[in-house]
Amino acid sequence: MSHAKGSIVQQTHPTRKNRFVILAIAGLVTAAGVTRATPASIEDVFNVPDRPSLNFYGTPGLMDMPSAEVMPDGQIAIGVSSFGGNTRTTLSFQATPRLSASFRYTTIKDLNLRGFEDFRDRSFDLRYLINKESRIWPAVSVGLQDFAGTGIYSGEYIVATKNFSGGRLPGKIKVTGGLGWGRLGSSGAIGSPFGGPRPPFEEGSTGGEPSVDQWFRGPAAPFAGIEWQINEKWGVKAEYSSDAYEQETQIGNVFTRKSRFNFGAEYQYTDRIRIGAYYMYGSEFGVNFQFQASPIRPPTPVRATPARPLQLRPSRASNPAAWGTDWITEPGAPAGLAEAMKPRLEAEGLELEALQVTAARAELRLRNHRYATTTLAIGRAARVMARSLPASVETFRIVIVENNLPQSTVTMRRSDLEALEFDPQASDALLAVSGITAASPDLPGAVRNDDLYPDFAWSIGPYVSQSYFDPDEPLRVDAGVKATATFKPGPGWEIGGTVRHRLFGNISDSDRLSNSVLPRVRTDSVLYSRGSDTVLANLYVAKQWKPGNDVYARVTAGYLERMFGGVSGEVLWKPVASRLALGVEANYVKQRDFSGLGFQDYSIATGHASAYYEFGNGYHGQLDVGRYLAGDVGATLTLSREFANGWKVGGFFTLTDVSAEEFGEGSFDKGINVTIPVSWFLGTPSKRSVSTTIRPIQRDGGARLSVPGRLYEQVRGGHLNALEDNWSGVWQ
Amino acid sequence: MIIKTKLAALALGVVVALSGCSGNMPEGGNILGAATSQLLTTIKARRASGGQPEFITVTPAQLAKTNIPVMQVNLLERGGTDFLRRRAVRNDNTPGEVVVWLASDKAQVFLRNGVLVGTRGIGGDIVSSDATPTVLAVSGARAGGGERRYFLSPGTYEQTELVLRCNVENMGRQDTQIANLSFNTTYLRESCIGGAGDKVRITNEYWVQPGSGLVRRSKQWAGPFSGHFELILLKN
Repeated sequence: MSHAKGSIVQQTHPTRKNRFVILAIAGLVTAAGVTRATPASIEDVFNVPDRPSLNFYGTPGLMDMPSAEVMPDGQIAIGVSSFGGNTRTTLSFQATPRLSASFRYTTIKDLNLRGFEDFRDRSFDLRYLINKESRIWPAVSVGLQDFAGTGIYSGEYIVATKNFSGGRLPGKIKVTGGLGWGRLGSSGAIGSPFGGPRPPFEEGSTGGEPSVDQWFRGPAAPFAGIEWQINEKWGVKAEYSSDAYEQETQIGNVFTRKSRFNFGAEYQYTDRIRIGAYYMYGSEFGVNFQFQASPIRPPTPVRATPARPLQLRPSRASNPAAWGTDWITEPGAPAGLAEAMKPRLEAEGLELEALQVTAARAELRLRNHRYATTTLAIGRAARVMARSLPASVETFRIVIVENNLPQSTVTMRRSDLEALEFDPQASDALLAVSGITAASPDLPGAVRNDDLYPDFAWSIGPYVSQSYFDPDEPLRVDAGVKATATFKPGPGWEIGGTVRHRLFGNISDSDRLSNSVLPRVRTDSVLYSRGSDTVLANLYVAKQWKPGNDVYARVTAGYLERMFGGVSGEVLWKPVASRLALGVEANYVKQRDFSGLGFQDYSIATGHASAYYEFGNGYHGQLDVGRYLAGDVGATLTLSREFANGWKVGGFFTLTDVSAEEFGEGSFDKGINVTIPVSWFLGTPSKRSVSTTIRPIQRDGGARLSVPGRLYEQVRGGHLNALEDNWSGVWQ
Repeated sequence: MIIKTKLAALALGVVVALSGCSGNMPEGGNILGAATSQLLTTIKARRASGGQPEFITVTPAQLAKTNIPVMQVNLLERGGTDFLRRRAVRNDNTPGEVVVWLASDKAQVFLRNGVLVGTRGIGGDIVSSDATPTVLAVSGARAGGGERRYFLSPGTYEQTELVLRCNVENMGRQDTQIANLSFNTTYLRESCIGGAGDKVRITNEYWVQPGSGLVRRSKQWAGPFSGHFELILLKN
């Protein structure tokens, strides 16, 4: 019964020392550890395809050459490779089953190109699987490498890969062949099938724009390779490279290219980590570290302490008295029920806001302090209601309230809950008979929880802020302590502030001051960093409320962020069952001093009209049109994919009326966002997440104000789509 | 060097994001402790996986002292033993009676006439399942079979459906020894196959008291994350 995957995993017993190395890596801590041998493996049960090995560009492939393979849907990969002075760090994301995107940071030692001794550059790739491998046909992919950078790696390819297994050799053999253009067509070209010549990258241009006129133009060269995955642990690779490394070997003297052939051996260290050693171009030794993880399957399954089984009512026949409705006529009955429910809710990480009861119906409004997945809160609230309310109450209405914003009304019949808890299709059956509808702004005649206000909360902890891709020092870090406090005097009101004190760091050491011709709304970050060790990151007063069933509003004033202060107002329209949401935000802000509480002269009215759309299956789009901080007018498009466990990976770009020359390096603003839920690491429920935005370069064009408490993300989690996707949480 | 600095910075970033102290903040505010203990658990689990898992054997004296319903569970692949208490009994529209057994860490196992149909609080749980043909075969201590349909959590609050074709064979009489007591039982073995490309194969075993249909002992699949549980009904 022992399946290959399971049994191999069981044989993995890294030494104690190595174990700590893995655990340290990436803080993806528990990621590395939990692989269990079970007879029916997790991969088989959830039908997870095999992960391909990565090449030196951090995408599926051999060494320098790509293959046609795709990573499993949703996979996130980090590749770090180095040979002959070329070091590449790549983050890749399989955004859909066929489309993947990569972002890369490169250092080429001693290239002496464009005035830099060590050349450092960012690049983006896109790959698309045209044909899935079948019994006869190979997988075929097309790719654009470095399609919008300064072009040093730019190349296009079409590639085919076929798997062979089951012959006399053990394991699996993958044979790859393809045709490359640009960099991948620089050695052994066979002509220009789509015409030429290929226009060169213009020295001195700002880069960053899709180089459409270059794609698939100029000479094309064939490349090929073979990978033999001997067993679950070991694999060997050989390739014929079509990359001449012209700039590195002819213009610069980075290394000597003596051969077109590369060879390597790779070892699968854990389920997620693979390491390789290579002999490159007949002269250089190379290494490649590959990390792959899936946000779909967490390293540790999320474990919430289960709720107790739903309490049943006595049957009406055996105990008719328990079904009486006289209780409702007793004065103070609703208040008594609310008091009884409070501690029971509290034990589940929930807090009662209001309770409205009649003889047959109850509406409970509550806050969820514990569960990132709203359905867990709903299921636990339903159980508390079943335990606490008299038998005659048949209809439960549950409304989760986030910071004074009632999200949606989930209506369930108590008898359905009683009948379906152990049903073979418990989750789908309950969803079919539950209603998810709009929540009214207020609940008249309800018993309210008087303990909610005033509410004061604080926290003190460390902070780290990073600055990426400075040509002199690719990663700069500041670290110190941060104190945050919020005071809520009444419903929807919040006074909040954050003070940071830097203990050490090197962001302010940078001598690359702004050369921007636009108002310096973002590029003065080094001056802000130099300004003071202790900073007031923000201090504001905010009020948010629901003016209507489907409308949400917010007003915020104060020091909104490190660089700007002022007033901000936002209105959002988001019906519970709608995939579309529309919002408007208007701000008037003044630029803050580099240190202290004062302001500089620059002020601006900035704001956007936004459309948000849920495409389904976790794909989200957002379009913001308006005026940006530097006074430029344009639009930002954001596309992201959110997984049910809260992982979110997205990309955005902004085009405004600022020209590429005015904008400076990169030509326009773009970047990627990654959000990782804390529960993914811990395996215990938590509402917290860690987010980061990485831009190839931060300039002043297309810059948006950063306001605390924007509305959309606050309400979306409690609406129809999010609830349906995670509905089984009601029973867990 | 770049590699090291970056990874260190990333690791530091994560640790920093998880640490800190707070007052009255939303839950999950101070979770460095939790992260650390999670780490230790992982390390311990790794260390433990070196040897064969050991299970507790109940002595006659211990059994004699037990006067409430108790089910012993041995985690056959993961290792470890726990004793479950009967938490609730439910009857619904599906054949068989559901008993909810509660573990010491509040995890739950749902047995429908002794057949494992659900778990809670283990992580990657069986959200729900339809095992009607198996329940009928086991209750009658006879051969049978048919489709088993699972809704499994992939470690989150989504669910994935897994359909297996199952065959229950009657392997004849094989008595069950629990401490000093011997029970007359019929040994049933269930083989299931299914999933994408029929790659999922599962075996369950039941030792059933004929007549009452009471499952005295069983070895049952509890989902891909949990593996098989050995369930011994110490006291009914």
